[in-house]
Amino acid sequence: MSINRKVGALVAVAAIVLTACSSSGASTKPSAAASGAAAAGCKVGVSWNNYTEERWAKWDEPAIKAALAAGGAEYLSNDAKSSAATQATNIDQLISQGAKVLIILAQDGTAIKTSVASAGSQGIPVIGYDRLIEDPKALYITFDNKGVGKMMATEMLKAVPKGNYVIIKGNKADANADFLRAGMTEAGVPADAASATGDIKIVGESYTDDWKPANAQKNMEQFLTANNNNVQAVLSENDGMAGGVIAALKAQGLQGKVPVTGQDGDQAALNNVALGNQLVDVWKDARELGKAAGEAALQLCAGTAVDKVTGTAPFTTPGKNNVSSIIIAPHPITKDNLNVVLDAGWITKDKLCAGVQAATAPAACK
Amino acid sequence: MAEASTTAPLEAPREPSSRSLQSLFRSTEIDARLLGLIIAMVVIWIGFNIMSGGLFLTPRNLWNLSVQSASVAIMATGMVLIIVSRNIDLSVGSVLTLTAMTMAMLQTEWLPNLLGVPVNQPYTWAIALAIGLLLGAAIGALQGFIVAYLGVPSFIVTLGGLLVWAGFAFEEASGRTISPLDTTFQLLGGGPIGSLGETLSWVVGGLACIGIVYSLIASRRRRRRYNFPVRPMWAEATVMILGCGAVLAAVWVANSYPWPEALAAQYDKPLNTPVGIANPVLIAIGVAMVMTILATRRRFGRYVFAIGGNPEAAELGGINTRRTIMTTFIIMSVLAAVSGAVLSARLNAAVTGLGTQSELYVIAAAVIGGTSFAGGIGTIPGAVLGAVVMQSLQSGMVLLKVDSPIQDIVVGIVLVAAVGTDTALRRRSR
Repeated sequence: MSINRKVGALVAVAAIVLTACSSSGASTKPSAAASGAAAAGCKVGVSWNNYTEERWAKWDEPAIKAALAAGGAEYLSNDAKSSAATQATNIDQLISQGAKVLIILAQDGTAIKTSVASAGSQGIPVIGYDRLIEDPKALYITFDNKGVGKMMATEMLKAVPKGNYVIIKGNKADANADFLRAGMTEAGVPADAASATGDIKIVGESYTDDWKPANAQKNMEQFLTANNNNVQAVLSENDGMAGGVIAALKAQGLQGKVPVTGQDGDQAALNNVALGNQLVDVWKDARELGKAAGEAALQLCAGTAVDKVTGTAPFTTPGKNNVSSIIIAPHPITKDNLNVVLDAGWITKDKLCAGVQAATAPAACK
Repeated sequence: MAEASTTAPLEAPREPSSRSLQSLFRSTEIDARLLGLIIAMVVIWIGFNIMSGGLFLTPRNLWNLSVQSASVAIMATGMVLIIVSRNIDLSVGSVLTLTAMTMAMLQTEWLPNLLGVPVNQPYTWAIALAIGLLLGAAIGALQGFIVAYLGVPSFIVTLGGLLVWAGFAFEEASGRTISPLDTTFQLLGGGPIGSLGETLSWVVGGLACIGIVYSLIASRRRRRRYNFPVRPMWAEATVMILGCGAVLAAVWVANSYPWPEALAAQYDKPLNTPVGIANPVLIAIGVAMVMTILATRRRFGRYVFAIGGNPEAAELGGINTRRTIMTTFIIMSVLAAVSGAVLSARLNAAVTGLGTQSELYVIAAAVIGGTSFAGGIGTIPGAVLGAVVMQSLQSGMVLLKVDSPIQDIVVGIVLVAAVGTDTALRRRSR
């Protein structure tokens, strides 16, 4: 979340316009080998906007590389170092190096349009990776961000179908905070305190400046004070803030008794899931995104039209462009499926299970 | 520019000449600006208490408020000296983050790996804390050196620092959240476990009371010795009673907050065990006391105010202005490290955005507390009060379910209004 929040927001803007969320994109794709024959020797150029962020090198790039290698395609890349101008030059370079398909992690989804149009005029298809590119010809591959809020709320409503809810939202200037909240509403959490008529009462809801855990902690302390600790559930929009909420609960002896949500797959948060302090951590497996992009690139290499790539669905962008998109569903991680993050190598078992008592240990820690 | 009421350390008080209310007040030598701030705070508290249906002035909320204000208050005391000497430090938030992250890495990974011991040793947290404070001092020395000896404006140096130290903090842990922290270290952050408990709180309150009485008597003796005018006895007694009364009332409030039921059950405490003063608050009070002594009773403090009042005159007067300025930056960064320890211990985590924007709140607290950007004017207790006033506004508004955009608007307006009123009053009294 904190890594590319601004773009995440953009993505979320896009996601809310989407009426039908296709979450089956990644799984229904044909194997890479099937389209591999036609893609052999095809060069795929990847333009990273800022490769120094840990995530890209560690998770996304290997997945893209593996998918391309499976189809016999060649991987090229460069790094724009957070500069939109450098990225434009980089894309020209990739094209002159012979790239036949481009995967672009855009620094600026609007500034990149000229480069994308120029690539298109040379017959080179473009994949907008993780971040939206406002061009009808670009294929948009991303996570279902609105779905994250929905998943959090769904898990929480299962665990606490009735009671007082506190909602800790992200930064007010970040549209993603509102889209996560919209997802919660879709799952059945009242839109605000006033419209709460059923079993769920909202007894506290606030934005958190800059998604800061310390601010979330202060807000949670105040909500607990205001309600004399009569709070049964906390919907926090990310893991960092969930940590702040749990610290506030701990000071009242309520950690583990009041479930908390989060997202991002932070190691500390997954540990809290194992400890029973956090109910769910919605995890976006970057490798699934990379794999989907690599496999889509192979099909584009073989000459498949953008809207015919397996798993795509039409999508209207905030800029009113109709693009093709592949939307990948994140994983809600609870104490019952912690093995998912372990098996993926996302976290080591000793980090995940640190401090977990044998008696109450979830299956993954036994 | 410099006035009697705020540069008290340099001024001898005047004997009351008439029996008017004003002169009666003057003879108590209570800082009028400080009193104004206290009155404003009381008004805010009562207002919030009415609007929240009696929630605000409960021991629990006041206890929360004291802990929530602590980290900004600790840093604001240092910011007073920086601003008084006509400088600024924009890097405190980033220094806080970097030192907190370093201490967290030391206690959870580096030291256990280096020494080959598991985490939660009785001594690892202390080593981590010491190294964190030293790192703060080193950062302050570097920034202070560049400002004082190389003549680069402090705004620029610390603006650079804001970026640099935050960058190091991110790299140090590759953007990870370091949690949980050492169990002993966590006690620095407060919570009922990290608090003094009933007896110790009274002991601390009693000692503070004795300290107030002693310092008043000592100051009276000192004035006598140099033939300075002294306060009338009744004024002396009033200040004594007010000061002691405030301290003991605060202890009483802290002791009226009982351990939360669920927590008491976990720790096998009887119901209604008083929590007492929280460790972060104790640290903040200790820091404020040391800083007050440093600012008003030590040569260093007087130099700082002299430099702020008139840098050229101070230099010509033989003050080593460069060393003095550099020292203010060292103190500031060490306090940022102290704050980093408190804040991360309280959160039980070190995160890359831990101190983001806290420089703004620290500067605002100092300024609301009466520190002037023109230099030479400012008090430590004022800055601490400024921090409490700002946190009161924020915590109170959360109780009233006012969301953060409106909170920001209110805090922003209060900041400008406070300084505006102050400036207007100052102009009138001239």
